[in-house]
Amino acid sequence: MAAKGSSIGGFAPAAWLAIAGLIVVVAIPFVAVVLQGIFPNLGQGSLAGPFSSFVTTLGDSALIGMAGNTILLGFCVVVASALVAVPLGVFRALYRIPFASVWDVLLLVPFMIPPYIATLGWIMTLQPRGYLQQLLGFNLAPFLFSLPGMTLVMTFNTFPVVYFAVSRTVEAVGARYADVGRVFGATPAKAFWRITLPLSAPGLAASLMLVFAAAIEEYGTPAALGRRAGFQVLVTGIDLRITDWPIDLPGAAILSILLVAMSLATFLLQRWILARRSYQTVSGKPMAKDKRPLGSMQLPVLAAFAVVAFLATGVPLLAILATALSRTISGGLALDNISLNNFMLVFSGEADALVALGNSFSLGIASAIITGLIGVTAAYTVVKTKIRGRLAIDSMTILPNALPGIVVAVGLILAWNMPWLPVTPYNTGFILLLAYCCILLPQPVRYATAAFQQIGDNLEAAARVFGASGVTAFRRILLPLVFPSLASSMLLVFALASRELVASVVVAPVGMQTIATFIWRQFEQGSIGLGMAMAFIAIVITTLLPLLLLTLLRRSGLVAE
Amino acid sequence: MLKSLKSLTLGVVAAALMAGVAHADITVYTAGPQSLIDKLSAGFTKQTGVKVNVFQATTGKVMARIEAEAANPVVDVLISASWDTATDFAKRGWLVKYTSPNAAKVPDFLKTETAVAQGISALGIAWNTKSGTPKPSEWADLTKPEYKDLVNIPDPAQSGSSFELTAALAGQDQFKLFKDLQANGAIIAGANADALNPVLQGAKAAVFGAVDYITLAAKKKGESIDVIFPASGTVIAPRPAMILNWSKQQDDAKKFIDYMLSDEGQKLVADQMLMPARTDVAADRPLIGDLKLLKYDTDAVYGKRKETLAEITKIYGGK
Repeated sequence: MAAKGSSIGGFAPAAWLAIAGLIVVVAIPFVAVVLQGIFPNLGQGSLAGPFSSFVTTLGDSALIGMAGNTILLGFCVVVASALVAVPLGVFRALYRIPFASVWDVLLLVPFMIPPYIATLGWIMTLQPRGYLQQLLGFNLAPFLFSLPGMTLVMTFNTFPVVYFAVSRTVEAVGARYADVGRVFGATPAKAFWRITLPLSAPGLAASLMLVFAAAIEEYGTPAALGRRAGFQVLVTGIDLRITDWPIDLPGAAILSILLVAMSLATFLLQRWILARRSYQTVSGKPMAKDKRPLGSMQLPVLAAFAVVAFLATGVPLLAILATALSRTISGGLALDNISLNNFMLVFSGEADALVALGNSFSLGIASAIITGLIGVTAAYTVVKTKIRGRLAIDSMTILPNALPGIVVAVGLILAWNMPWLPVTPYNTGFILLLAYCCILLPQPVRYATAAFQQIGDNLEAAARVFGASGVTAFRRILLPLVFPSLASSMLLVFALASRELVASVVVAPVGMQTIATFIWRQFEQGSIGLGMAMAFIAIVITTLLPLLLLTLLRRSGLVAE
Repeated sequence: MLKSLKSLTLGVVAAALMAGVAHADITVYTAGPQSLIDKLSAGFTKQTGVKVNVFQATTGKVMARIEAEAANPVVDVLISASWDTATDFAKRGWLVKYTSPNAAKVPDFLKTETAVAQGISALGIAWNTKSGTPKPSEWADLTKPEYKDLVNIPDPAQSGSSFELTAALAGQDQFKLFKDLQANGAIIAGANADALNPVLQGAKAAVFGAVDYITLAAKKKGESIDVIFPASGTVIAPRPAMILNWSKQQDDAKKFIDYMLSDEGQKLVADQMLMPARTDVAADRPLIGDLKLLKYDTDAVYGKRKETLAEITKIYGGK
């Protein structure tokens, strides 16, 4: 893969860094999974009986149902996320919303709530004798354990991806282009539909694709809610093959490849839509970031923000807090049942909770930095250079999005536990780092790609004309322009990495706990309260830490707002 | 900037992660409670100076890890939650023959040449005492109208002991009990913990076949929950401990088994509300002698596993 003929930048180091990073982080575990699918006895180091598992796995009559359910669920979550997030994001970008930064924080919190915890929170709120019934006398169990219920719970978990992408990209597009349309006689609505929204398409499409991939890969919610609705998806099928003795690793690998194929298909669709026109809106001309007043729409818009924030953040957080503060679950919401025991247990150090917090946060920071680095170089290579094999690089960055965490974990074990390797990250914390980087890499790549697509080529060209080297142009012109997007995606990686469960449980080195494995073990042993106390503390820290960082960055002038 | 980011990354990673790499002398994979293995390891290290490295997960996830590691295994001692593992691994020739001197008081059916029970759990009816339903005493009680829509069944596909209970009871009456339960609104509700949680909050009144020690521990914490062992019989799940033949620390591994079966080790087991494997160690809970066990042929039951699970899936609708 020679890095020749890059258009203007000629920034070959970026391409090499991206390729090397992608091979280590993505290609190695993925190839291991594919080989496992083809050679059933790979784990024992044998290549006997190639393809023998394909027939039994793909011949399973339940497969079509599971695949159909997977696509249906992904589609429902994408539509619901767009319905909730696009209007809010557009208002946030174009209008002066009172308490805008407060709403941003409130809508950021759902990212920090692990999906399985949020789902458990919803179950404990809506099931018979749950918190809702204890407070208001009725329950919504039939709704919760159904496809619409599942869609809603997953939407509240994923819509912030779309909200932040839309508000950022629409803001970058600004009102300027729409104003031109207005000058030429378009109505405000027409200017929005024909100009602003289409120009924001890269961010919107990228975020919707992330939501789709996240929805078909999500394990916790379909496992907890879907099973009771008789709704099995591919991921629950994969999990069953891996955890049900005798273990069927080849079958799980084949189902994972199917899942990856689905994700790649949406990715190519998104690429095809975007490739048909240019979305460059950042051209170097100064632009006013004046936002308009809401006027008479103020009340309804504020109400919409409040309702969504309450459902997405308020309900799960309150349910988590209520459970964490309960002496016993069966005691319910009663004054004499309030106790700080669970929180004291977390801080007493007896249960290793603090060690788990430390482990997860250092892993989260390291993952954010590594994925940010690979992400920005990969996105640059794909968007701004003409290197051959760009599509391969781009595809590699999307692969992990559809790989279920548990499959990444198995792939990593297969790849890094070969007896002939002189050194291996396996059974050290580095294997978790590799797992998190693999699973979360798509986030920075997608955000940075969308940002690069909006930057005009003439900016970099201008720098080169004035004698800047490729590296300098990248560092002084392009990097600062994509940094806001990159920084938010890195914060997202930090939050997601510090709570990752499924891969952590399987691949964690002996003796090492993370936040998620700690919580999960408490649940397994029936200590829901202690698990929820830990979850609450983790959510608070993962929310406050990035906010603190953003404030510092803003002060130092690195991020504009 | 890229350079400084890189060195920062390496610094953070190296500092934070190397701390998690322990250089222990034996590695134990366990499907038992984390707090039990923590205490057993601490006690063992104190007594012998040999460090213990622990990986804890559900039986399924522990097995997935061993399967994926097969080319280069690291586990020395495995403690499973399902006796089936011990039988299967022995057949594969993966186990070391060892009979601990401390196993003398372990009943014969809880030990083989290659495995010995750490402790035993049993299945029972977990019942919320504040649910407003009458206290059940038999499995069949849960088919009564008082328990309409109020019963959870742990998924037999996800738990070895649930499967044995299902197979044993279904073998007695050709699945009639399970059909009646389904007609009464009982549902299959995920793994053991997923089935128990709704009963704690009161969304359901009872778990049909709950793991007893988790429920008893919750009761000890003050939850309004109780365990009933039906007089018609139930199943037990001995937790086999075994030494893997690829272990390079077989002597230390044997010492670990000895410690686990010592007075001190068995008391730690009893403290978790599990039944100790040794009959001469006391526990604050019903013991094997107090329970009536269902009679069934384990080999035959596991031989028909697929068919039994398919039948349950058919009765309870797609999964």
